[in-house]
Amino acid sequence: MRRRPPPLRLSRRTYATTRPAQTAAKYLERIRLDQGPEGLNAFVSVNYDLPPEVPGADGTPEPRLCIAVKDNICTSTLPTTAGSLALSNFNPPYSATILHLLLQSGAHILGKTNMDSFGMGSFGVHSSSGPVRNPRDRARVAGGSSSGSAAAVAGGLCDVALGTDTGGSTRLPASYCGTYGLKPSYGLLSRHGIISYADSLDTVGLLARSLPVLSRTFQILNQHDPRDPTSAPEDVRQAVAGAARERLRRLGDGVKGLRVGVPAEYCPSELSPQALRPLRNALRTLRRMGAELVPVSLPSTRYALSAYYVLASAEASSNLARYDGVRYGFRAPAAGEGERGDAAQGYARTRTRAFGEEVKKRLLLGTYALTAERLTEGSAFDNYFLQAQLVRKLVKRDFDAVFSAPNVLSSLPAENPTGVDLLLHPSAIGPAPLFSQLAEQDSLDAYVQDVLSVPASLAGVPALSVPVSSQGMDRGEEEEVEGCVGVSVVGQWGWDELVMRVGEVTGDKGDH
Amino acid sequence: MLGRVSCRLARLSQRSTRSYSVEVTDERWPGWQPVIGIEVHTQIRTRRKLFSDAVANFDAPPNSHVSLFDAAFPGTLPVLNKACVDLGARTALALDSQVHERSSFDRKHYFYADLPAGYQITQHYSPLATGGKLHITHTHKKVKHERDVRIHQIQLEQDTAKSTNQPGLTLIDLNRAGAALMEIVSEPDMRSPEEAGAYVTELRALLRAIGASNGNMDEGSLRCDVNVSVHKPGESFGTRCEIKNLNTIKGLQIAITSEIHRQIALLSSGQSVAQETRGFDEDRAETFKLRSKEDAPDYRYMPDPNLPPLILTQDYIRDIRARMPPLPCDIRQRLSEQHGLSERDIDVLMSMWAVSDVPFDGEWREDDALSYFQDVAQGRDSRTVANWITNELVGSLAYRGEAFTPQKLPAAHLGLIIDMVQASDLTATSGKALLRRLLEEPCTSEPLSALIDRLNLRSIGTDGLQQICEGAIQRLRAEAESARRGNTKVLKRLVGEVMKASKGRADAQAAAAMLREMLGLPIEDTKD
Repeated sequence: MRRRPPPLRLSRRTYATTRPAQTAAKYLERIRLDQGPEGLNAFVSVNYDLPPEVPGADGTPEPRLCIAVKDNICTSTLPTTAGSLALSNFNPPYSATILHLLLQSGAHILGKTNMDSFGMGSFGVHSSSGPVRNPRDRARVAGGSSSGSAAAVAGGLCDVALGTDTGGSTRLPASYCGTYGLKPSYGLLSRHGIISYADSLDTVGLLARSLPVLSRTFQILNQHDPRDPTSAPEDVRQAVAGAARERLRRLGDGVKGLRVGVPAEYCPSELSPQALRPLRNALRTLRRMGAELVPVSLPSTRYALSAYYVLASAEASSNLARYDGVRYGFRAPAAGEGERGDAAQGYARTRTRAFGEEVKKRLLLGTYALTAERLTEGSAFDNYFLQAQLVRKLVKRDFDAVFSAPNVLSSLPAENPTGVDLLLHPSAIGPAPLFSQLAEQDSLDAYVQDVLSVPASLAGVPALSVPVSSQGMDRGEEEEVEGCVGVSVVGQWGWDELVMRVGEVTGDKGDH
Repeated sequence: MLGRVSCRLARLSQRSTRSYSVEVTDERWPGWQPVIGIEVHTQIRTRRKLFSDAVANFDAPPNSHVSLFDAAFPGTLPVLNKACVDLGARTALALDSQVHERSSFDRKHYFYADLPAGYQITQHYSPLATGGKLHITHTHKKVKHERDVRIHQIQLEQDTAKSTNQPGLTLIDLNRAGAALMEIVSEPDMRSPEEAGAYVTELRALLRAIGASNGNMDEGSLRCDVNVSVHKPGESFGTRCEIKNLNTIKGLQIAITSEIHRQIALLSSGQSVAQETRGFDEDRAETFKLRSKEDAPDYRYMPDPNLPPLILTQDYIRDIRARMPPLPCDIRQRLSEQHGLSERDIDVLMSMWAVSDVPFDGEWREDDALSYFQDVAQGRDSRTVANWITNELVGSLAYRGEAFTPQKLPAAHLGLIIDMVQASDLTATSGKALLRRLLEEPCTSEPLSALIDRLNLRSIGTDGLQQICEGAIQRLRAEAESARRGNTKVLKRLVGEVMKASKGRADAQAAAAMLREMLGLPIEDTKD
């Protein structure tokens, strides 16, 4: 009953080039067809202006890269709501740096995509514009918080989508929707113009059906930005790019001699059997091609999820304090004349109405984690925030200990000859849940979805969710699979190119 | 730097100062010892704000200098203005404070309309600098007091927006939002309201001299929060109260005096002082309770996740030190030692620069009290020059209600006036008239000598004087006769007539001498 065939027939041409697949007009037509109550609900605003055509070498028009942009990335030509009533009427007076870079490169912006409010949510259901459906199975969630971006890519409504990733917000929906989803190294892609959820964890994310297109978009955006104080400086970029390029040169075309770590801690009890099959297939492919598989341990992983929620919520409680309805965004009208002039009441009224339940929950949690109120021993700040920062350091140390390449950002970068080039693990503990299952879940079940993705966020290292076939390679292993789970490739800070190389080798060759 | 070391040595050798090692209580509150510490918030004199490229101009029409970051628009990020760090480090070095190689920025949270982001970026956990001291001198009841007030820490932070309350309405001007502030926190080292006043005065002069701030208290670019407690000598410090937002030195002293009396009254009647934050009512000269310690807001300090730690290398600090402008104590010392000026003259000279414009971004100021004095005093008598500056120039400016700038009277012009008076080419009266004329209408294109001729100010000389004296004797025959008979008292009238006729171009003494000669009176009498 819930297996509704996708309404759009996508061409089966193998996507081996970096050329866009469709013209903007074709994509706009598809976006238009998808609208309505049965649609994916991927877009919240659409740019119907067609770009002028640019003739290519052979005289036919050169297709522009058509891009969908998550609605927490500021665009001066389209509203930017961050999926929240708080910004329902917000038209930014400026555009994000990454948007300028894309436009300069000749890309075309198709529209803005639906998302969980302020990036808070794993399923794409916490949006003021309603839930997003999974194009593979419309009874399932698309995943969050970059839900519309993943659905637009998987549904063939754009070439590439920009998302954001704070704890898995690009990789989880990519895993659920069967697309590539890259969370680049923290500090490579400019955050200027990205509406903050948790600044120390927020990154721009990229989603695409094919890796060459994703990689090309990454190249366009991978630039230092003086407007972002956390943007990696030029010298650091060059240092790490040199080392990574040298490793890629030695690997030649393939992955022969690549050391791939398989972390023991990434198979928690919550992991579903469906999550393991794609991983096994990917590992098999790599071994067949001459890579060496190495079991590794990242012992602090078990504390990562709690630490993540403390830090992300604490930063969110600070970052979202600005939504008071004074200078921009939604303002709740005063109930009566007596309430006028009382600023505190105005803030409370506006914020109570503007924020959804999930956002409120995290703001309260984060506010508490920063309070100096004395508890039996120490304050909440000491017991939660500082502890979480400590765990974050341990998680970083775990990654630095297993990778062979040194972390150029750490104070004592040292090569580790017994280390691995990359890590592989399932992107999520299971496939996308059905909308009907969400009601039975408690909020903790939603948070557990991020258990495998938050360590890379805490460490700031690059992670790519790769769609890998879950079909058994051996006879007899085939069975019907409900939903898909991606495989995450995680590398040392700045080794995004290597991560993408392995993604390309192991991933499904994108149906287009 | 040599100057600063010797400056300190000079202080050690100064006498007639009172030592505080034995606590002598003030006659205003016998048996009680007040303890005072001050937090000074001062706007850093930079063109642009601390984390945005909006111009820091607070006189402009409301909300005309506001960047998207200042208004806390979503997606905007802070970008640290290096000029603010430079001036913070310069201040720290001038106060002998330890500039930290690594400091960091934190967020201080509260909801108020003057804080668009809902937090202020400050340096809570690791400030820019700690330690240091400021030497202060003040005279109270004819006793000179000196002290080194220790500095606790110096931090950089954002200013808030300016809010103006009207009935049922709060108006917000974001021009000030995000401007660079420096908080300089003293140790509780001051012991009297006058000493607290001297500390702020001295700190303000220092900040102005090094270009860190214009220290303008009227415009709110320098604000003070004061901590006051009292105890009996020999006992430990009492509970302190903080008085917020004191914006004049006089107000600060009155507030402290009033607070000392309030606390003594409480303790004397067996009550205790509650730790609280208080405001100051200037009209009633009283402090009043704002909030108790229990009501203190929880600011939920958090390291700012957008701003990486501020790393200042030894090379950087050396560079800042090398570009340090002369400090007030260096200037005072050189005026005293090299030019032999009195303390009073030095005070007046220094005060002339107390209201002048401070250039932006720590740019080198071309002039200060020392350089102007030196320019005028070059090849001239120091005391004469000092006399002209501190009496004639300052007096004329005060009469006009104007502040001094070297452009108003270039050193070369003042030097020429002094030379001409010394050479009797101008009478002192004409010299002063010329000075006033130049302040009124600066002489730009015309050479000064041409102006003197045009205004007919040049001294009339012996022949001219003789003519005028003859004329006076002709006109006032009766008086001249009386004088000839030995009534020297009428001589003054004759001199007055000469002065009137010469329009100030004659020298009164020379005129008296010539009249005596003409009337056959003895010369020696003119000496009185």
